[in-house]
Amino acid sequence: MIQLEQVKKIFPQTTVPAVDEITFSINKGNICVFVGPSGCGKTTILRMINRLVEPTSGNIYIDGENILHVNSDELRRRIGYVIQQVGLLPHRTIEQNVGLVPRLLKWPEARIKARVMELLEVVGLDPSETAWKYPYQLSGGQMQRVGVARALAADPPIMLMDEPFGAVDPIVRGRLQDEFLRLQQEVKKTICFVTHDINEALKMGDYIVVMNKGKLVQKGTPMELLSEPANDFVKDLIGDDRGVKLLDLTRAESLMMVPESYPVARDCPCFIDAIQPVKMALEVMMKNDSDVVGVRRGDKVIGTLSWTEIKKHIHRISGD
Amino acid sequence: MNFEFERFVIAMFDRAPPYILEHMQLVLIPLAIATAIAFPVGVLLTRARYRRYSGRVMGIFNTGQTIPPLAVIAVFFPFLGLGYRPAVIALTLYALLPIARNTLAGLAGVPLEVKDAARGMGMTEWQTFRQIEIPLSLPVVMSGIKTSAVLTAGTAALAALVGGKGMGAVIFAGINFFRMELILAGTIYIGLIALFLDRVLSFIEARMTPSYMK
Amino acid sequence: MEVIRDVFLFIFNNSNRILEYTVNHLSLVLTVLAFSLVLWISVGLIISKYDRFATSVIGLANILFVIPSISLFGLFVTIPQLGLGRKSAALALILYAMMPLVRNVYRGLKSVDKSVIDAGRGMGMSTTQILYQIQIPMAWPVVFAGIRVAVVMITGMATVATFIGERNIGRLIHHGITRGNAEMIIAGALVVSLIALFLDYLMGLLEKRVTSPGLRHSSENY
Repeated sequence: MIQLEQVKKIFPQTTVPAVDEITFSINKGNICVFVGPSGCGKTTILRMINRLVEPTSGNIYIDGENILHVNSDELRRRIGYVIQQVGLLPHRTIEQNVGLVPRLLKWPEARIKARVMELLEVVGLDPSETAWKYPYQLSGGQMQRVGVARALAADPPIMLMDEPFGAVDPIVRGRLQDEFLRLQQEVKKTICFVTHDINEALKMGDYIVVMNKGKLVQKGTPMELLSEPANDFVKDLIGDDRGVKLLDLTRAESLMMVPESYPVARDCPCFIDAIQPVKMALEVMMKNDSDVVGVRRGDKVIGTLSWTEIKKHIHRISGD
Repeated sequence: MNFEFERFVIAMFDRAPPYILEHMQLVLIPLAIATAIAFPVGVLLTRARYRRYSGRVMGIFNTGQTIPPLAVIAVFFPFLGLGYRPAVIALTLYALLPIARNTLAGLAGVPLEVKDAARGMGMTEWQTFRQIEIPLSLPVVMSGIKTSAVLTAGTAALAALVGGKGMGAVIFAGINFFRMELILAGTIYIGLIALFLDRVLSFIEARMTPSYMK
Repeated sequence: MEVIRDVFLFIFNNSNRILEYTVNHLSLVLTVLAFSLVLWISVGLIISKYDRFATSVIGLANILFVIPSISLFGLFVTIPQLGLGRKSAALALILYAMMPLVRNVYRGLKSVDKSVIDAGRGMGMSTTQILYQIQIPMAWPVVFAGIRVAVVMITGMATVATFIGERNIGRLIHHGITRGNAEMIIAGALVVSLIALFLDYLMGLLEKRVTSPGLRHSSENY
């Protein structure tokens, strides 16, 4: 668990705090996303957690231990760090790059080798194809994968990720996000994730912290943010398509009607899974030119979802 | 140390000054010729048609630069005899590389998207060159000319060996008679000439740079 | 064609003398190079750590560099502790080597991509580890470019040391001029250029060995 307590940072030769008395905590195994415009202090928070930036005042605890009392190099070796520019060492092979922290920790060479191969596999790279290459021989997407592998190398419980998928095109970014979420299901790291892209935040975050001008504007789950934005700043950040975005986070079963007679439901021209998002239901309805879709759990049809219900729901959350 | 102030004053104000103009000529003429050759070459080597030759041409220039200045100056002497000409030719050859290299680097450094935008707005190739490439690469090109000027000012001291005169005559006299004062005076004037040329070139550069780029 | 034949005849007939001059030339160049590398690379490292000295140190190197070689040799000769010969020659050449070496070490270290250093720090590398494992290896191509410039330059300037009593290839050129002997001049120019090209080639080989293949694709470092 990571706790920040009244953390404040004023950079030298400035008067306005870059981060102003922020307090919150991140639970073990969660992804907490910091989102906000550039200069809002989100990256500074991240860099204070591994002490690349020293807080002006306040305290930061990891599992109850005050990190300001720990040797900063040793602290960083226990925390995975991924940045947008990736920062691979251009003069080292991919194998050496991924094995960097284990080597700093003086693992035996055989264990490092095995770990590197395992990790390249995990992030979706062919080890025999990639390990001996140099960074300039990889594509942007591959480099980002290596960056994630490098951060995971020593199996740190905590990962700090600063726009880790920011430097690749939207298609590759989407794929990397999906893969990372799948990976997270297995490794269950505590992750601090910085982005300026609200869609990425909604997709990746268990919790989201919205920042502006060094201040914490709102914290909550993606659902809470979408349904109850704290002020106009958050509303603007989310954009005008708040309702549609929410449909992406709402499961079909939560808006489903349970009809009196099953035959009606069974007669629907198309079906979706109960845990799929409502947005998917819309997609299926449009494809089949139908106003209603059947909802299934497993093989069993359990209800129907109609265009009228979805419209009602959007009106409810948009407040008009 | 056999330094006598009186002799130094004499060296500074009587012995060395007659050579100042000669030395200036030994720098300016080669510099002008070298610029007239190296700049067009640099421009040609950044045009699409000739770009593929740029590696080879610069390779030749680089190899040329490994030949010591003393050797270059001396080599022309048997064919052209004593005097100005062998010195000027040798110094010209020596001044080529920094100018060509910086012209190449400066023009290659103009962002592709700026050139693209210019072409996209309907500028001809000549207009793009004149209004985009030249002003944007000017600082790098000029710094090449300045480097050449400063290097030539120093190397020109060797011209005295082949009868090319210049401040080198004062310095060699100092070496032959163990007169530190003469060497010092000659060196100071060469330094001043280098500094003066650098300033003049900076002034020209400032005049040529459009005000919005300053 | 006649000239070329005469030059080769000259070299053939004077091979002993040319060999002696070549050995002297090389020993001066290599001595100067050894001292310069140790001294100026250290200075480069120091000023990249203590940035406030950088401008003045590099400024000094630039000033030394534009003093005509013949002047510096001449001035050192008139200092009794140095006198005619190797001490003056070596000292002057070491001072000339300052500019390319110090400047390129500083530039090389400073040009290392900030994000790589940031990543290194973020992974828990100490300042020393960052210097030895990131900054120095990444600066190699630029540093080596400086070393090659220095080697070629020292080789060329060493010829001028003939005027202060060094018995090296410069002597062929020097005496060729005073005697009006074309073969001698051209032979001298040829041999010294070959020495410079050869040393440059050797440095190129060494550079390939110590530079990581990962950096080699960006070869434009001058």
